Amino acid sequence: MKTINKLFLGLILATPLLLISCSESFLDIQPNDKLTLDNFFQSESDLKASTAGLYNKVWFDFNDKFYYGLGDGRSNNMYAPYSDYVYPFSDLTETSLTGPLVSAWGSFYNVIGQSNNVINNIRKNSKNVTEEQKNTAIAEARFMRGTAYWYLASLWGNAIIVEDNTILVDHPVVNTSPRNDVFEFAMRDLEFAAKYLPATVSQAGRLTKWSAFGMLSRVYLSYSGISDNPNSAVRNQTYLDLARKAAQKVCEESGLSLMSNYADLFKIENNNNPESLFALQWVPNGDYGVTNTHQAYFACASEITGDDAAWGFYTLASANVISEYEVGDSIRRKATFMAYGDTYPELKQATGGYTYIVKHNSKNSCNIKKGVVGSTTDTKGKSSKMNSALNTYMLRLSEVYLIYAEAILGNNSSTSDATALVYFNKVRTRAGLTAKQSISYEDIRHERRVELAMEGQYWYDEVRRAYYKQQEVLDHINLEDRAHIDLYNYDKVTNICTPTVNANARAVNQATPERMLLPYPESEVVQNPLLKQAPVSYQFTENRITDLFN
Amino acid sequence: MKVTMKKQIIFVLFMLLIPVFAIAQVMTVKGTVKDTKGEALIGVSIMQQGSATNGTITDLNGNFVIKVPKNAKLNISYIGFNKTTVNITDRSIIEVILEEQSKSLNEVVVIGYGQMKRTDLTGAVTSVNSEAINKSVVTSIDQVLQGRAAGVQVQQNSGQPGASMSVRIRGISSLSGSNEPVYVIDGVIIDGSSSSTTSNPLSSINPSDIASMDVLKDASATAIYGSRAANGVIMITTKRGKSGEAKVNYNGYVGWQEMPKKLNLLNLQEYAYLKNARSAAGIVQADSYFVRPDLLGAGTDWQNELFTKAPMTSHNLSITGGSDKNTYAIGAGYLNQDGIAVGSGFERYNLRANIDTQIKKWLKAGVNFAVSNSNQKVTFSDESLIKTTLKQTPVVAVRNADGTFDGPQTTEFVLTNPLGLALSKENYNENTGIRGNTYLEATILKGLSFKTELSFDFGMNNTYKFSPSYSFGSIVNTTIESERSKSYSKYWVFRNLINYNTTIDQVHSVNLMLGQEAQRSGWEYLYGYRSGFVSNVAHDLSMGDASTAKNSGNSGISTLSSYFGRLFYSYNDRYLLTATLRHDGSSLLAKGHNWAWFPSAALAWKVTNESFMKNIPDIYNLKVRLGWGLVGNQHVGDLYAYTSVLTSVQTATWGTGLLSGNTANPKLAWETTSSSNIGVDLGLFKNRIEFTADVYYKRTNNLLLKLPLPAYVGTTGMGSTNAPWGNIGSIENKGIELSLNTVNIDKRNFSWKSSFVFTLNRNKVLQLNSETGVLNDYVQEGSENNIVTRTAVGQPVGQFYGYKVIGRFEKATDFYYKDAQGNIKPTAIPTGMTISENGVWIGDYMFEDVNKDGVIDDNDRTYIGNPEPKFTYGIGNNFTYKNWEFSVFLAGSYGNKIVNYQRRWLENPRENNNVLFSATQYAVLSKINEAGPVDYRNMYISGGDPYMPRMSASSASSTSNFRYSDRFVEDGSYLRVQNISIGYNLPRGLMKKLKIENVKIYANLQNVYTFSAYKGYDPEVGAMNQDVLLTGIDNGRYPSPRIYTFGINLTF
Repeated sequence: MKTINKLFLGLILATPLLLISCSESFLDIQPNDKLTLDNFFQSESDLKASTAGLYNKVWFDFNDKFYYGLGDGRSNNMYAPYSDYVYPFSDLTETSLTGPLVSAWGSFYNVIGQSNNVINNIRKNSKNVTEEQKNTAIAEARFMRGTAYWYLASLWGNAIIVEDNTILVDHPVVNTSPRNDVFEFAMRDLEFAAKYLPATVSQAGRLTKWSAFGMLSRVYLSYSGISDNPNSAVRNQTYLDLARKAAQKVCEESGLSLMSNYADLFKIENNNNPESLFALQWVPNGDYGVTNTHQAYFACASEITGDDAAWGFYTLASANVISEYEVGDSIRRKATFMAYGDTYPELKQATGGYTYIVKHNSKNSCNIKKGVVGSTTDTKGKSSKMNSALNTYMLRLSEVYLIYAEAILGNNSSTSDATALVYFNKVRTRAGLTAKQSISYEDIRHERRVELAMEGQYWYDEVRRAYYKQQEVLDHINLEDRAHIDLYNYDKVTNICTPTVNANARAVNQATPERMLLPYPESEVVQNPLLKQAPVSYQFTENRITDLFN
Repeated sequence: MKVTMKKQIIFVLFMLLIPVFAIAQVMTVKGTVKDTKGEALIGVSIMQQGSATNGTITDLNGNFVIKVPKNAKLNISYIGFNKTTVNITDRSIIEVILEEQSKSLNEVVVIGYGQMKRTDLTGAVTSVNSEAINKSVVTSIDQVLQGRAAGVQVQQNSGQPGASMSVRIRGISSLSGSNEPVYVIDGVIIDGSSSSTTSNPLSSINPSDIASMDVLKDASATAIYGSRAANGVIMITTKRGKSGEAKVNYNGYVGWQEMPKKLNLLNLQEYAYLKNARSAAGIVQADSYFVRPDLLGAGTDWQNELFTKAPMTSHNLSITGGSDKNTYAIGAGYLNQDGIAVGSGFERYNLRANIDTQIKKWLKAGVNFAVSNSNQKVTFSDESLIKTTLKQTPVVAVRNADGTFDGPQTTEFVLTNPLGLALSKENYNENTGIRGNTYLEATILKGLSFKTELSFDFGMNNTYKFSPSYSFGSIVNTTIESERSKSYSKYWVFRNLINYNTTIDQVHSVNLMLGQEAQRSGWEYLYGYRSGFVSNVAHDLSMGDASTAKNSGNSGISTLSSYFGRLFYSYNDRYLLTATLRHDGSSLLAKGHNWAWFPSAALAWKVTNESFMKNIPDIYNLKVRLGWGLVGNQHVGDLYAYTSVLTSVQTATWGTGLLSGNTANPKLAWETTSSSNIGVDLGLFKNRIEFTADVYYKRTNNLLLKLPLPAYVGTTGMGSTNAPWGNIGSIENKGIELSLNTVNIDKRNFSWKSSFVFTLNRNKVLQLNSETGVLNDYVQEGSENNIVTRTAVGQPVGQFYGYKVIGRFEKATDFYYKDAQGNIKPTAIPTGMTISENGVWIGDYMFEDVNKDGVIDDNDRTYIGNPEPKFTYGIGNNFTYKNWEFSVFLAGSYGNKIVNYQRRWLENPRENNNVLFSATQYAVLSKINEAGPVDYRNMYISGGDPYMPRMSASSASSTSNFRYSDRFVEDGSYLRVQNISIGYNLPRGLMKKLKIENVKIYANLQNVYTFSAYKGYDPEVGAMNQDVLLTGIDNGRYPSPRIYTFGINLTF
């Protein structure tokens, strides 16, 4: 008995001591489902993996509803009186609480934040990689960040500029910077990207220097209109020239060309075609967050999607946009909007194609086609419920062609410049239309609207115009009579669109100079009252790149 | 009387047959032992004092016969009764009356790593015994506590079978999500927190296995569990065997459940009238079917379709017994509860066994296993079908003529057929768990023992989802999808305890415990998906199209290492001291900050043991307690929050992409809660009145919280980095807890006992170290993501935050007011709106311009209600009359507010779905001068409910009126008749013949009636996903059912 007691006493004393000695390692846990920063950024493939995420997930909340809700909804390309992600924008009644507005704001800043993380982590942590490899990856991230800032500058004007999110985490209450600084920040990022991105890439869909030049041409063109007087009616020639030069690089040096068939642009198998300069890269059958949800919001019937996610019955083309199509422009119209009697062989393939014979309150109004790709069987597994692998175009070559023409047109009322006509007419002739001999701003506006309808662009065209011809834009919006025009009868053969005027259709707000910008999301203002105060100039630290066009 | 006489005679005759050895000075003593009510006691032990062998027990009538020397003394003892000694002194016939022991005083209470007599407690501990469990229909152990334990607030988050509860012990001490206490079940620590409303980690435990629940409330009681104890600890002991003849107990019931209340939604006729009114106002196109609403029928009543009478059954069998050295308990249980909503239900199997054995005189060992398997159907809640049920219009038919499901005729406003979906989709979770504990305990020297213990908990959770092809009217789904997930969790704790007990000079009683413990919990998760199934028949993934496959998996581990000690000292059973100290290290926190000390001390004075109290016999028990302690919380929501991680992102063709996953906090440390407690235990009139009162103050510092940051920091939404976890701010809780138990009547045939508990808690945020100083929480509905609660310094946690309605524009002059100087000013209207029919108009709400800037905008939101009750209470009454038992239990809450969030849609007449009848009472406008213009100066309100706004054609006006305001905040006070039970014990005589110890037949009525002004289904709302900042928000909560059960309890 005594020996046993002693044995136990020994055990008692020994066990805790043994455990103390190993308890520190007992608390040391290494993750198995994540990487830590210490063991990453060690090779070129690490760098590539770190920028790959910037092409989809961070843009998801922007793409989901805001891309078209604002880009096309607010510019009256759409009529969706029951979709609260569209009508607040087209009715100009959005508030600081409007869902897509809040999530897009967050999405732009996620693009910015994750780009900053890539840039800063590469600068701080990367080993075993060349300066060139570093610059390429940083250029990719800066392209993304610059693009996001262009959106912020266009939509909200003054915005918070962030270069290091870890600092912002500790001190989140900061001032905004004025719109011009936000523009400049975007241009500096895109200029860096244009300088350091490669001309060709091994992975289809990655950014090239042509993507950066193309985006720069858009941003320069926008910026050229900004002055203290929103009705100055003239644009800054320096930036018009820059826009022209940047577009020229893409049009004349890139070797890229338009797809021959416009409708083919919007098929999953043609993702990353030569015309695509920057497109969000959605994952076939991917997890929620890396897929394109547009089809679910646009498809007018669940027979198209093959599931119950087809919420687009009342998400229609507006009478206004349908009337914009000229006679003979049926290729683009059909690829963008469905008209009564249209047949789409790529949809419902099992039954030999889909014929659109939907009526809205016994009227032949048009549902949306762009973004609608068909069921899982139609796409051979590349689409499913709320999920398609169709890339979202952020910049296409044909837009750069039109920018090129517009930059050449500059402050003139019209132009017959040969180069401008060549590129302008390339866009038209592909659509099966006759070439023009002289073009005005109105021609370009019309062409851009039709060519890029449902690609989230037309509102930015109006914003761009309003920088120097604000009253014209406001009048133009207010004359559209969004309050009373709802459904319409469209005859695709005669191309005649007969709108109905409903005395009580909608309560819309008037377009005003203030409404050319969006309100900051309420949750942001609550947490940072400085958002409502005057902006503070941004202190740029690096030198701006000036040798892009030498 | 005759019968008894006869029996006695037979007994005496029987006794006479036994050879009698007449020894000198030995006499025969006959006696009867009864309790205070005069009931004979069977099996009472009668021992001659000083003799180890001479003894007997009473027979079935309480009689005994014993031969003892003259002037001997008899020791009479019986379990549950006070021992007594009887002097024979020549008497040959004696009658002994045994007094029942006062239960609560001799009760043993389970405390951390040991147990203690209730009388020796120095901390605040409340106990609930198995009787309370038996008297109500509970399917999960946390339900037992509701209204029965002072200081514990329990709310059911959903009425769905198997759903989670919100249990708050002494208020809210953490903002990081979980405020749930930990449950220590036979040594296994189970976290009560859940991230969803439907799943409850405690649902796998069978309440009828429980012998007692002890709630450790103040820090001096919980500090021994330092690292996990910030939200309180609930100790659960399951039933164990006792030496003696084996006992078999069966308890089973059958019953049904039903909806206690229906909401008054529109029927087809009413809907048609409203739709016609809406089309007249230009909101919708006229519906050609609705030309003559008076000819229409009632249409579909979706509430009737989705909510049904649902059966419920439960069977429990237990066998307990043992010899001197070995005791055992075996139990099996089955529960099947269909949900009152189609597409919900819960089924559970339990098995358990424990064995304790005395191997040697000095060595004891035991093993305890519990296995459970449960199946929870969650289609109804996962698909948010309650909202669809309320919003789907009566126009839509449930079924076609051939019995298949119907649906909306166009896809214009697609709300699916909720019944079709609930019945077609497969969606259930299966949980299998094994919980066990083994120990070895050695007594080394007298008073010194060593115990080593290994406890574990393995869990396997499988989820099954299958979405078949279907067509409900024009809603067609041809994509067949299947999802499966498997998760596996493993927890173990290894623990060594040394215990030393001694009494010095008969007055100094000392108990010292030292211990060490290591805990590890790990989990793994695996997920798979396929679509493209050929048919709806076979659901496994291999039947799907391989090219559609998706899969993922992850895992996590956390560990905790601890050392602790406790000293209990008592001087002459009058002055008591308990002191504990614990040292914990956690893997969830940053190196260098992950170890912390948690001390506590408590004093108690047993006043009644003082000599001066002997003269006051009415005061049976009086004890004063005083305690202080510090406990910790390591509940970081993200693993590895102290370091920077990268998470993977799928890409189309470029392989795995990576994005920053979080912002690291390399200084992440413990959250600590210090609390002080003063308590009094008072027992009067032989403890017929027991009263306990506690007052406490609790302060939590270094709150663990994910930093609330604006979205521009890149921490919100898809692809964002997680905001860092920090130690920010502090919060206080103070409160009073009272509990009163009385024996009102205690007569032979009739008794009446009452209990009353009262809980009052106030919390306040003292500090939030974030720059912005507020913490908002949101509810997403459609594409609107709205701030619903705000937590700010100086305010209680999670108050509702929105606009205040101060009235309605009744007439043109309401658009202007006179200020203090007598100037006429325009009344504040929402920014961007004008006085117009499509803007602000007669019949619209007037909101309070909180910041007095002349417009209504975000800055005019303010606190519009506190979800925390002013107090909660429970009242219980138990009656027994002869063989009958009757009990009524009431639970209530006073002064809390509820947001009836769905009224924002269900009461808006402009909405394109079904609405509440109250929506049709919108303000009707008429012209003052019929010939005049449509101008606000020519309009007045000619009808409708005085509190409803007008029905406006413009969405902007409607959105403004139905913005989140105090219009939707309702009084959540309620008094609920929680339970009525009636039981009948079959007469013992009959039972004896059948060799059955006891049979009780009972009926139980649960959730009988709720007195409340609340307009929704159920004022007991709980917290969404157990998130403390989303407490009291009713956004389609599954209503709790009313349950009727009939059962039988049989022991033999």
